[in-house]
Amino acid sequence: MGWRLTLRPYVLIVPALLLTCGILYPFGLGLYYTLFDFSASKPQPDMVRFENYSTVFTQEAFWNSAWVTVLYAVGAALVETVLGVAVALLLHRPTLVGRVLEKILILPLMIAPVIAAIIWKLMLQPSVGVVNHLLKPFGLGGVQWTDTPTGALLSSIAVDVWVYTPFVAILALAGLRSLPTSPFEAAAVDGAGWWYTFRRLTLPMLWPYVLVAVIFRFMDSLKVFDIIYALTEGGPGDSTVVLQIRAYLEAIRFQRYSFGISYTIVLWAVVYLAAMVLVKHLGKIQRKAAEVTT
Amino acid sequence: MITLSGIRKTYGKTVALDGLELEVREGEFFCLLGPSGAGKTTTLKTVAGLEQPDSGTVLLGGEDMRGVEPYDRGVAMCFESYALYPHRSVYDNLASPLRSPRYRLPAAEARQRIGAVAELLGISALLDRPVGRLSNGQRQRVALGRVLVRPAKAFLLDEPLSHLDAKLRQQMRAELKAIGEVRHTTTLYVTHDSVEALALGDRIGVVREGRIVQTGTREEIWYQPYDTEVARAFGRPRINLLPGVVTESGVRSDGGVELPVRSRATPGTDVLVGLRPRDLALRGPGHELTGTVYVTEVLGRSVEVTVRLGTGERRVSLVAPRADAARLRPDDPVRLVVRPENLLLFEADRPERPGRRIETER
Amino acid sequence: MRKRLAGWVCDAALVLYFVFALFPIAWMVILSLKPTDQLFSTYFSFSPTLDGYRTVLGDSEGIPFVRFFVNSLVVSVGAVVLSLVVGLPAAYASARWRFKGSENLMFTLLSFRFAPELTVIIPLFVLYQKLGLFDTYVGMVWVLQLVTLPLIVWIMRSYFADLTPELEQAALLDGYTRKQAFFRVALPLVKPGIAAVSLLAFIFAWNNFVFPLILTSNEAQTVTVGALSFLGGDRPKYNLTAAAALVSVVPPLLLALTIQRYLVRGLSFGAVKS
Repeated sequence: MGWRLTLRPYVLIVPALLLTCGILYPFGLGLYYTLFDFSASKPQPDMVRFENYSTVFTQEAFWNSAWVTVLYAVGAALVETVLGVAVALLLHRPTLVGRVLEKILILPLMIAPVIAAIIWKLMLQPSVGVVNHLLKPFGLGGVQWTDTPTGALLSSIAVDVWVYTPFVAILALAGLRSLPTSPFEAAAVDGAGWWYTFRRLTLPMLWPYVLVAVIFRFMDSLKVFDIIYALTEGGPGDSTVVLQIRAYLEAIRFQRYSFGISYTIVLWAVVYLAAMVLVKHLGKIQRKAAEVTT
Repeated sequence: MITLSGIRKTYGKTVALDGLELEVREGEFFCLLGPSGAGKTTTLKTVAGLEQPDSGTVLLGGEDMRGVEPYDRGVAMCFESYALYPHRSVYDNLASPLRSPRYRLPAAEARQRIGAVAELLGISALLDRPVGRLSNGQRQRVALGRVLVRPAKAFLLDEPLSHLDAKLRQQMRAELKAIGEVRHTTTLYVTHDSVEALALGDRIGVVREGRIVQTGTREEIWYQPYDTEVARAFGRPRINLLPGVVTESGVRSDGGVELPVRSRATPGTDVLVGLRPRDLALRGPGHELTGTVYVTEVLGRSVEVTVRLGTGERRVSLVAPRADAARLRPDDPVRLVVRPENLLLFEADRPERPGRRIETER
Repeated sequence: MRKRLAGWVCDAALVLYFVFALFPIAWMVILSLKPTDQLFSTYFSFSPTLDGYRTVLGDSEGIPFVRFFVNSLVVSVGAVVLSLVVGLPAAYASARWRFKGSENLMFTLLSFRFAPELTVIIPLFVLYQKLGLFDTYVGMVWVLQLVTLPLIVWIMRSYFADLTPELEQAALLDGYTRKQAFFRVALPLVKPGIAAVSLLAFIFAWNNFVFPLILTSNEAQTVTVGALSFLGGDRPKYNLTAAAALVSVVPPLLLALTIQRYLVRGLSFGAVKS
């Protein structure tokens, strides 16, 4: 075999490889930094080995952030999945309303999350925000949306849900459209009810598509930053300081670079582990769905 | 003209070609026959330079093709998928080779050439149509046209007729060999259809699991098949293979049927005797066998008769003229005639290894 | 009868969701049209004015929003172009030849998609200040590769993989070189995919917030950070914030509506095809 033939694919990926290295370099550099006590006040850092990590894990602030992050990610992913699948099912019916609304389904998804947070911040303002104004007739004025710990977390999740529910809905809708029709026709002939059909046919076959969406949403919301930064800045108190916000505060606000990066490395490990588990599960689910179809 | 020797090609752990040897002579129409997955397409692509063999050499016109790019090999290929450019018209598809740096023709000449080829294939009316709006038969003609439109040292045709319906396939089969370009150019033709191979091939190569099992003219393949599997591959209804044991005077099959095949095989060897349905008759000279009619099936002017041989359950099929078989009913006693020289003898089949043919003595 | 009732309930539920989804956008439009003196005195009845937009686009609040807008445009287009030039050959190579280098590259790129941005940004924050790339276009285009390159390579690979290699092989036998086969046969067939993925990558680059927040301060700052700065200050200028937010979401929204058909594959990184 001519060497030119063997070499060709490598030549084609070399630019991408170089660029990738350009992104990997800071990542590696960051990993290296975590072994030192590098900060703005200490530009000539000393090697501290794994001290940064041990500090992270012994800090109460870390465990608080980790807990908030998990609450946020699970809450957002859960609501988005249920709501997204419901919207997809509703849109899947051949009605005029559905066809019209489907066209504008993606709008919130295409708005920058930070802008979405700004929009909601204006609406949720307790005294002059429009949400409280609209709730007044129901005797619910004056809700302190982002000013209580629970309220702040729920509001952040609400913004996440507002932006990303269409993401789940779009993938679920694509899944619904690609399902084979024959099992449903068979079920209809057998006189199966709506609920039975949904639980025994639609859901198992749709699940792989939904799970792809869930994986994306769960892993993305583990590293949420924009929405919290713009909506609550982590407050009130520490109640919405998710891990990326904590890393930002440590590294950029307090300029303790090494320590801040340690936070993101830990987060990265968590995301990676979550991804492994979910992807493995996805494989299993896909096989099961294939069985239902046959 | 085309010589492949010791070609080995693997994809990961699957072996596609396992030491394939092949020689196609100048101007010959060579059919490569085999089931899907046998390595036929890989063979073609290896000749074309689209696949690089792990080992072995490809010679085209005596030249070693190692490291020679597909566009420098001067062969034309018709893909099973037709590989027409879906975004272009029929004309542009046919013109594609004539606009390439390698086979460029001045526009006027190209138009003339395309017109002639389109005329030949009966697709002149389709030239302005986008390929996406053609039927399978039309696509197949366009794909063939793209092969014929430019000069080529050899044509490589990969199951060009397989996607056509039966009637169209028969018609195209007849046309294909009548085309002058095809008659005069070395052609390597891949098919899984033995009828097609017998009808078209000057010589036939039978491929199995990445190797050529037998190469020969249709007569050689028909009368001297390499083993039972080759014998089974050709002829419909299939060859009858009767298990038996070699005796001093011939072979004795189940149910006490004596068959006059003599060979050097030692008496007592388990063998299979092959009788082609077309070589059995209900009357005429030859060795006689007795049996009872099992079932008859009318095939137009002839009848396929299945007969229970002797006293056993063993059945053979034969094809007889309608006049001879018209009055036969199930369970009627019949006499079958076979010419001893048409009998084939094989070793008994073993698992994973079809029985080889044993040379018979006339 | 029961069936029709169920249909109405479903339609009502759907409309309810869409009210939730669309009201915030509508409210922004209303807010952005309010004059400053009516900002908090009324909700729905007011005398609409474009003053908010004039102020935002006239840079009169000390926030050079037009420049931020141009910056967003420059760095997003720059990032997409670089990713395309570098990513298309890689996507093609890894779709056509499965080999170790390309699989590693693909996996690394996918892991970028799920890596916390700050892992890379904090070291870059230090590095850029040393290299003089802080607050520059080049610095932004570089770091945005983290967003655009994985997207473009993964999705274009799925498009190339959908294309039977026999088309290019036929071109080779027609007498074209491999380069010509790529440019004359493969590329035209994936053009819709390229267009869609470029727009999607542009949208994601445009919508990015963390990178410009940390790696720019003024010269190369983009609209997402710019819009947020309207919220600062002692007196909240809601109408200006709303106007700035709306101006900054116009490009992605318009583009998104043009690529609806290709969105599914793009959003799912090629995992789901429609």
